[in-house]
Amino acid sequence: MGLKRSIRLLPLLLAAVLGLATLSCSRPARVGERPSFPIPQEADVSHAQPGKRGGVFVEVSPGEPSTFNWLVAEDASSASFLGLLFDGLTSYNPIREEVVPALAKSWEIGADSRTFTFHLREGLAWSDGVPLTADDVLFTFRCVYDPRFPNRNAYDLSVNGKPFLVEKLDRQTVRIRTPEIFAPFLRYMSGVSIMPKHLLQGAYEDGTLLRAWSIFTAQKTPAAIASSGAFRLHSYRPGQLILLDANPRYWRIDRERRRLPYIDYLIVKFVKDQNASVVAFASGQTDADTIPPDDVGWVRRGEGIHHYTVHDRGPSTASTFLWFNQNPGHDKSGKPFVSPYKLRWFQDRRFRQAVSYGIDREGMVQGILFGRGQPLWGPESPANSKWFNPRIRQYPFDPGRAEQLLAEAGFHRRPDGALEDAEGHPVSFTLLTNQENPLRTAMATVFQQNMKALGIEARLQFLDFGALVTKISDSFDYEACLLGLTGGGDPADGMSVFVSKGRLHQWYPSEPQPATPWEARIDSLMLAQLTTLDETLRKRYWDEVQQILSEELPYIYLVTPDIYAGLRDKWRNVQIPKIGSVVWNLEEVWTP
Amino acid sequence: MNPAPLPRSGLWQQVLTRPQGALALGLLGFLYLCALFAPFLAPYGPGDQDLQKTYHPPTGLTWTREGLAVRLYENADPTQALYRPIPGKSAAVHWLPPGYPYRLFGLFPCRRHLFGVEPRHKIYLLGSDSTGRDVFSRLLYGAQISLSIGLIGITISLGVGLIAGGLAGYFGGWFDSLIMRSTELLMAIPGLYLLLALRGAFASQFGSGEVYLLIVVILSFLGWSGAARVIRGLTLSLRAQTFVEAAIVTGLSPWRILWRHLLPNLASYLLVAAALSIPGYILGAAALSFLGIGIQEPAASWGLILAQAQEMKVFMCNFWWLLTPGAAVFVTVAAFNLLGDTLRDVIDPHFRTGGR
Repeated sequence: MGLKRSIRLLPLLLAAVLGLATLSCSRPARVGERPSFPIPQEADVSHAQPGKRGGVFVEVSPGEPSTFNWLVAEDASSASFLGLLFDGLTSYNPIREEVVPALAKSWEIGADSRTFTFHLREGLAWSDGVPLTADDVLFTFRCVYDPRFPNRNAYDLSVNGKPFLVEKLDRQTVRIRTPEIFAPFLRYMSGVSIMPKHLLQGAYEDGTLLRAWSIFTAQKTPAAIASSGAFRLHSYRPGQLILLDANPRYWRIDRERRRLPYIDYLIVKFVKDQNASVVAFASGQTDADTIPPDDVGWVRRGEGIHHYTVHDRGPSTASTFLWFNQNPGHDKSGKPFVSPYKLRWFQDRRFRQAVSYGIDREGMVQGILFGRGQPLWGPESPANSKWFNPRIRQYPFDPGRAEQLLAEAGFHRRPDGALEDAEGHPVSFTLLTNQENPLRTAMATVFQQNMKALGIEARLQFLDFGALVTKISDSFDYEACLLGLTGGGDPADGMSVFVSKGRLHQWYPSEPQPATPWEARIDSLMLAQLTTLDETLRKRYWDEVQQILSEELPYIYLVTPDIYAGLRDKWRNVQIPKIGSVVWNLEEVWTP
Repeated sequence: MNPAPLPRSGLWQQVLTRPQGALALGLLGFLYLCALFAPFLAPYGPGDQDLQKTYHPPTGLTWTREGLAVRLYENADPTQALYRPIPGKSAAVHWLPPGYPYRLFGLFPCRRHLFGVEPRHKIYLLGSDSTGRDVFSRLLYGAQISLSIGLIGITISLGVGLIAGGLAGYFGGWFDSLIMRSTELLMAIPGLYLLLALRGAFASQFGSGEVYLLIVVILSFLGWSGAARVIRGLTLSLRAQTFVEAAIVTGLSPWRILWRHLLPNLASYLLVAAALSIPGYILGAAALSFLGIGIQEPAASWGLILAQAQEMKVFMCNFWWLLTPGAAVFVTVAAFNLLGDTLRDVIDPHFRTGGR
């Protein structure tokens, strides 16, 4: 029934969109009529098949942006909009899995592996026509490191607290020196959105930079936000949608020397939850979406009616894992975070391994994910083929093996079947997870049943995310927790998680000293991979980290769902990467 | 003798002689018996999973030489949870087989269940849910929570209402206005927000079942204001009756007057009010579980089972059996309303004549 209704909805929606475009302001009145500006001398030529201009691409976003100011953006929604509007010196190509030129046409790396000289493209311009030069790059870094504007980028763009040294050599050339060798430098540079000096200089000088370009700017005067990316902000209606139109001064062209992007408008609609988003796609209201694995079955039934295809992208980079609190500290009143006898279990590798053998991951995939997923043994999902280590220790479902390990560790069964340790404490713990995620709560109930089979009583407690985060990163008064992460990046992203000093080193955050020899080994490996540019060496270090983690199991990884992308059939030049957004190359996408 | 206008047995006999009253009482009796005997009637525990059989449709029943049997199914398409019966294959239903151990009424250890099949097969009278748990068993266990919550709630709120309203109406004066102003204060508190706050505050200290009970108790402590106001009004008018004045003149203590002379006259109202407000508690409890702030997995309640049906795939793949708790809530609420209406029909004329 939902499918039929949408047939009538689609023209309505289009009409609404066109109406919006004509009504709202003095921008081009007719779709497809774009002002023509000279093409930059050193424009990037796309290798994609040349297409036809025109068309509206409709997407959904689960959240609204909280700002359009790159300096203060911390959430995923804001970041995704900024990614459409602004480019960096480099860019990451998810198909080739390498860093490619963007605003910088090329760069040289000095012999010391610390000096990077970037050459900007000749003739670059902001969407309002002002040239984009080395001054803008300099300005961006000055904003990042200015102590008046505390922002998270200042932390990301420094090594051991020391900032990068940024110099302007000439109008088109910038030299950046890192204080030490910094492996993910070029990749991180793709995330640094260059900010327009001519528009933000005033706010920088009077100290109001962090409040500039807020969502109110976007609502009242969208034209004040000049962009460097393929799109520029046309209008923002909170709670409804964001309308982006093609940037007429974009720096990429196709082989026939026509300026990209092909599509005229990009509409991003806000939806309440994943159900609403999937229904919108399945009824033909949006052009692309991520389809949860358990919905693929029914969404595929609409392929013929609404002319879309659900593509299988293989395993996702999202991981679900659980860990035991191994924090030996105590709270202000002197009460230990974890009772000492439980801490002894949690710190025993054999106990963690036994729990891992006792988990029916195949069952979770079969039952909860409808067979669309993979068991996970380490921090890297097979999707991240560049960094995935397939030769780590695996823990297939084997209750017999689990019992054996528990017996070795001094546990034994009571006559009533309950497990107890050598001192007679019954083995029970409480597992936390956040209540908003049905997949996680389902996994937690499966885990509970699996543990029951071993005689272990795992109680479940579902909290809202905020309360959960307080427990695991502030008050530490919990025993075990089940959470997930989206991975798929560079090993350097795992510094705060795997280095024992890290704040996200969940099983024992911010260790004063590495608590165990294997944690000390991970520390040195993580530091080694961060301070070399040699990718094979980095891979070898990261492989060993994965190996140690799979042996010691501070995190017990569960499963990763397969990921599916739904896409309307009319779009050309779409290349679906294994990791990341489905349409990462929106500027090359066109429709006949 | 004290003026007891309604001999209790007479009231229930009158209710039973009316068809809708008999129907409502019969239904409620059946539902509460099911809840009471849930562990015996349910073939599986409320948390027993089978990950090979998620979203299994209700198993068909056939008649074979060995007696009643369930058909066996194969998973034709695991990616859509599509099951097909295997022709000619079935598993006999055993009566009173041994199963997982439980305590009947929380007291008597027992292993026998009413029915079951060979452990390697499954009998799903109402299908299975997202982790292969038997919806029928969960429905029965859920009934224990969903049906008892109404009784607990109404006992507390009518109890407090009766005491506060009765005393206010009888004594009047400053005591009356104190009670009435506090009911107004309580009525001004927005229930849902209070609930969310309570849930958040208690969630980390208690288990979900305890929090839930706590919430119901707190809610009913807040919910007594409506009942208290009505009871106060009734007491006020009763107090002006001559039989009460006669009791006062004979020198009976206020407590005795309240207990022996006013309460029996209020009983009829209380019965009707209880029957008509229990559905509110049951619906409220279901709504809370549905919103995720009531009882939590892996425990079972009707609202919680319904919450699973929020997902689109339940509609798109037609897992209709996950909606059966909705039917159970409907039947319960309808039965209570029917009972309340019948009670009122029976009581009203008595009430009027009893007053004169």
